[in-house]
Amino acid sequence: MSDKKGGFEPKIIAFCCNWCSYAGADLAGSMRLKYPPNVLPIRVMCSGRISPHFILKAFQKGADGVLVTGCHYGDCHYMKGNYITKRRVTILKDLLKFVGIEPNRLRADWIAGSEGDKFARVARDFTEEIRLLGPSPLRG
Amino acid sequence: MEQLKQNIKKMLESGEIAGFLGIKEQDGHPIPYLFTPEHLDQVDDFVVPEVRYPMAKILLNIVRKYPDKPIGVMVRGCDDRALVELVKNQKILPELVRPIGIACSQAFAEYCRCSQPFPREIHYGEKVGPVADRSDLETVESMGIPERLNYWMGQFSKCIKCYGCRNICPMCFCEQCTLEDDTLISTGEAPPEIPIFHLIRAFHMAGRCIDCGLCEEACPAHIPLRSLYRKVREEMSEYLGYVSGTEDSEKDPLEFLGSEGYEVPSKIDET
Repeated sequence: MSDKKGGFEPKIIAFCCNWCSYAGADLAGSMRLKYPPNVLPIRVMCSGRISPHFILKAFQKGADGVLVTGCHYGDCHYMKGNYITKRRVTILKDLLKFVGIEPNRLRADWIAGSEGDKFARVARDFTEEIRLLGPSPLRG
Repeated sequence: MEQLKQNIKKMLESGEIAGFLGIKEQDGHPIPYLFTPEHLDQVDDFVVPEVRYPMAKILLNIVRKYPDKPIGVMVRGCDDRALVELVKNQKILPELVRPIGIACSQAFAEYCRCSQPFPREIHYGEKVGPVADRSDLETVESMGIPERLNYWMGQFSKCIKCYGCRNICPMCFCEQCTLEDDTLISTGEAPPEIPIFHLIRAFHMAGRCIDCGLCEEACPAHIPLRSLYRKVREEMSEYLGYVSGTEDSEKDPLEFLGSEGYEVPSKIDET
């Protein structure tokens, strides 16, 4: 991400599930809602498909933050993917903290297909949070 | 000990087991060895020294070669926890494994900082209490977050990518290893990319690690790997109430939802 006036522009990877969150992101676009261009969505079929290894890889390659989004509880297209995602993200956050990466650089949130405004809001909030945290210590 | 050897001979003779995986003293060195009914006299060389080998892992290799043979195996507390996990993950059939339990001495338990220095069933040795030692985790936890990263990057940069930690681990039974997946890790290059190489393994150990500590013993670069895996083990217990290597818990809750799957554990919900 190019720096604006020498300031820090965070690079954020957002994993979005095909059925809810990506549709939510799509809706945010259709509704002409503004959200920061720092967030790069990657579509996966289900949040349960997001292996923690992908998240680690994003950090390794210099992402300043990783946003994991899926359907609300009970709404998962595959019944239970998001329940497992939540468990994995919780454990991974603690592991990141233990090795010295701020756990707040990783966030899991649930966004339904009708929540375009929520997607835009989460993207804005998260970008601001990462901006305050500064560049990732793994960014080379 | 004599009694134990006689029992093992009897089991081999009667065909109750087709082989016994124990430790044999050869030229003054204790080595893992598969005793067979053809060479019963060798059982006299069976020893229980204060060294450890990944017995469960060696057993797994034997079982893969002879899937229908009943095998006896010498197990310490750590090997027994590994057996429990291997059964849970359907890597071995419990009816084809006869564990011969060895309880470790107090001194050995302290050396290994073992949380359970005895197997479920003890055939030899006296049961001693668990050793609760969190000092390695506390050292890291006392540091600030940026300091921790410095510490770990310093440790990880010593890695020579020998895969020793994976190769000795009794819980590393996957057919394909993520650490050799070139979409995640740069393969064919040493040293490895840090910290991803170690963190992938650390996360993979959540719900698996039985805290035997063989990884740290095997590491030629003396990276404190065990602290990492102990940390995820502790988290699993704290958030999900899951302790791997015990029979009373179900399968890994990071992979299987189990009977209470559609509830979000309250501790996780708060995060």
